[in-house]
Amino acid sequence: MTIKQLPQDLVNRIAAGEVVERPANVVKELVENALDAGARRIEVTSEGGGRELLRVTDDGRGIPREELLLALSPHATSKIASLEDLESVATMGFRGEALASIASVSMLRLRSRVPGSEEAWMVRADGGPPGAVEPAAGPPGTSVEIRSLFFNTPARRKFLKTDPTEQARISEVVQTIAMANPACAFTLTLGTRRTLELPAVDDPRRRLVALLGAELADELIEVDFEGAGATIWGLAGTPEIARPTAKRQRIFLNGRPIQDKAIQHALREAYRGLVVPGRHPTVVLFIELDPRLVDVNVHPTKTEVRFRDSGAIHQAVRHALRAALKGRDLVPTLELETGSAASATTAAPSSTAGDRPSPSAMPPGLAPGPVRDFGPTDRARPVEYQRLAEDLARPVAPADALVPGIRRDHRILQVHAKYLLVEDPDGVLVVDQHALHERVLFEELVERIRSAPLERQALLMPDVIEVDEAAIEALELLAELVGRIGFDARPIGPRSISISGVPSFLLSRNVEPGPFLAELLGFGVEQGRADDPEALLSEVLDMMACKAAVKAGDRLGDAELANLLARREAVERSSNCPHGRPTSLRIPLAELDRRFGRSS
Amino acid sequence: MNVVCDRAALVEALSLAGSVVPSRTTAPVLGCLALTAEDGLLTVASTNAEVGISIGVPQVEVKEAGKALVPADKLNQITRACEDSTIALERDKSVLHVRSEDAHFKIFGFDPQEFPGVREFAESGEIFECTGGTLRRLIGRTLFATAVENSRFAISGILVEKRGKNLRFVATDGRRLAVAQGGVKGGVEEQTFILPSKPLQILNKLVDDPDVTVQIAQEDSYAIFKVGEGADAAVLSTNLVEGQFPPFEDVIPKDQDKRVRFESTELSSAVRRAALLTNEESKGVRMDFSSDGLMLSSRAPEMGEAEIQVELKSYEGDPIEIGFNPAYLTEALRVIDEKEIVIELKAPNKPGVMKLGNEFTYVVMPVSLT
Repeated sequence: MTIKQLPQDLVNRIAAGEVVERPANVVKELVENALDAGARRIEVTSEGGGRELLRVTDDGRGIPREELLLALSPHATSKIASLEDLESVATMGFRGEALASIASVSMLRLRSRVPGSEEAWMVRADGGPPGAVEPAAGPPGTSVEIRSLFFNTPARRKFLKTDPTEQARISEVVQTIAMANPACAFTLTLGTRRTLELPAVDDPRRRLVALLGAELADELIEVDFEGAGATIWGLAGTPEIARPTAKRQRIFLNGRPIQDKAIQHALREAYRGLVVPGRHPTVVLFIELDPRLVDVNVHPTKTEVRFRDSGAIHQAVRHALRAALKGRDLVPTLELETGSAASATTAAPSSTAGDRPSPSAMPPGLAPGPVRDFGPTDRARPVEYQRLAEDLARPVAPADALVPGIRRDHRILQVHAKYLLVEDPDGVLVVDQHALHERVLFEELVERIRSAPLERQALLMPDVIEVDEAAIEALELLAELVGRIGFDARPIGPRSISISGVPSFLLSRNVEPGPFLAELLGFGVEQGRADDPEALLSEVLDMMACKAAVKAGDRLGDAELANLLARREAVERSSNCPHGRPTSLRIPLAELDRRFGRSS
Repeated sequence: MNVVCDRAALVEALSLAGSVVPSRTTAPVLGCLALTAEDGLLTVASTNAEVGISIGVPQVEVKEAGKALVPADKLNQITRACEDSTIALERDKSVLHVRSEDAHFKIFGFDPQEFPGVREFAESGEIFECTGGTLRRLIGRTLFATAVENSRFAISGILVEKRGKNLRFVATDGRRLAVAQGGVKGGVEEQTFILPSKPLQILNKLVDDPDVTVQIAQEDSYAIFKVGEGADAAVLSTNLVEGQFPPFEDVIPKDQDKRVRFESTELSSAVRRAALLTNEESKGVRMDFSSDGLMLSSRAPEMGEAEIQVELKSYEGDPIEIGFNPAYLTEALRVIDEKEIVIELKAPNKPGVMKLGNEFTYVVMPVSLT
């Protein structure tokens, strides 16, 4: 394809707007151009926060001498030629305005050499129309050098933040693009510092891990999903590495980073109950979608898109993440000593400290059992220890019982009427009884309500509760939801509600239905979220589960304990209570061994 | 005080009196049993804020009359753990010596004067009486239906309603209602009060002899029961529950149009088995009634399903499908000591009524079927 002037109708069709607000935008445009030119290696250099110098050098196919000037005129692009092409934009840049806009506010040098050609050519533009094409020297590919950005627009220059801030933005732009382009090597030099050095890799996972931090490798779960006409691939962080900001959330659509409310919501939904409100999971997702199903030409920076069917995308993203999280044991591990040499180990079989193979990877029968090393065996031991030893030496459960979970035949110890201690294949599990029970009940309720409304027990005589007017209004608004969870309630006056049926579930858990309904309606008033009934239902079921769950301080019988832990395995995402607090913590065996000086 | 007692009789009295003693108390004296020996009788008494009890133990030899006040739990444990047939109790100042053949315990007690005392049964006034068997049946057939934990305080107790020669006990927890009726003698024509359920459990144990005479008197704020007539009579007094009992007559349906007759043990067994496959959020057992019989079915999503066929003695009316919490049925069937029972129904969203002549009426609300 060659560069040519766009037809006027197309020019009009493309929304006008500023592409270049700050150095990072320049970097983004230039790097995207480089990628579109088929670069395998891109070097980015910035000095003075990008104000003094920005240089992007690639090894792509270059721009022929005769097209160099055209490259600097507005709406000149090699990427689309007609309206039809705009419908199916597959390249990064396409608007044909970047270089021209940048050239108009900086001292620009564009040097390029087409591979196979003998010489390089260069053109300069110093805030105005480009000068003549002159010969230059350089390797194959293109290099764009921008000095004194915004030198002729003092207002914009003033608008820039401090150097470190601008540098951080440049870095973020490069990182984001690098995530989506693992086959291309990237370097980033800020001032005199080489802050990024990414070799080209075949495996996109390696690129992401390199960017997110190798120490998080074990905490990143691969997402792989196909549905709703989309392919979704990426990495989802465990709840443990969620952060106070959403900075480590990147969504790419057909290779282009986007910001989309529907997708962000889907992400929150997928992590609902796993991450405490106020923290944001680490998620990098690449969504591949037929370009015709999405409009990317919404905003000049192309970060906003419009899906033809945003509901389907929402669902696909949520399912993709849920499926990935579900397949993973999310129990956080506890290190007994801070600052220890051991890196953050996790619960997953694949991540055990490396001193023993993962149980699931081993053939049945060879799977490692509990500790048996009790020292000399012939020494007489007190009876309790004898029993303990016998217990521990019992034949290992079949392999299927060794998936992350709890062997049913293990004794469960309740401590302080609050926590449960139990052995599991990777160590000792400490379970918060309330949090776990709440989670279990929540999941069971969610499961149940999916197929039918919750069971309702009719009352002999209506129970009348007194509430305020707002609650009456909430009852009218939420009538359907209130019915679905098993209530039969209607207003019988400006401040009274008559309840003639209550959820069986609340009765069996000894929760008084009247006060519960009053609280629910109060909550409904507060949230005013009749527009998102699913989210509200989820909150309400959460409320039910919380009220119904055993509390800290409740002594549990053996049968109750066993039942609770058995149900733990049955429900998904049991590692966090619906509020996002963890339900379980694992003290890894390796950690105990280390602490007791027992080299394993 | 110095007595030698038959151990079995003593253990029984101590444990009944001990059941009144609050398990946690700020005043140690309230955790005590009061012993009084005089005229060939040992009386064991205890009290809490609500209930007072005194039980006569005649199987004693009183060597020296007197009183003692000792911690209930220790005295209970010691007498229960001992294996001899007799036990000697002797007080020396603040110490109670408990002697058996091979053991000698000294329990530190309190000054008997500190015991707050229990109400005595006043033989005068409006008293009505019934047999132990009647009272036991009335309690057994209603107590199970009281609201265990409920903010509506009145229904946590049992309504006692005397109308001439009839005595009715009524209990409800809002989902079912049990009404039991028996015969009484004496007393005023009409009398109504609400008893808390805890002392009724104790009373139930006191009336294990069906022929014993039970006298009942009620004052403004309390009721008092005298079980037996001799010196060894037991007296239990309890505060009444304040508040209004719901108008229970209104919820007993009069227009049921389907009538089923059952073998009560067979129904009970079938319901219990169907209940095995229910869970906390779906309790209900589906009951399909028709002239062909009753089909019980239940389903617990993760566990499985159950179907149980029950033969009916007779069925009158159109077929009906209705859901009930199985516990509400089995609890009632358990306290009915009759072979045959009648259930009347009307519609899936209307109550079912279990009946045993005039003696017992049980109204139970259905659950929704999904």
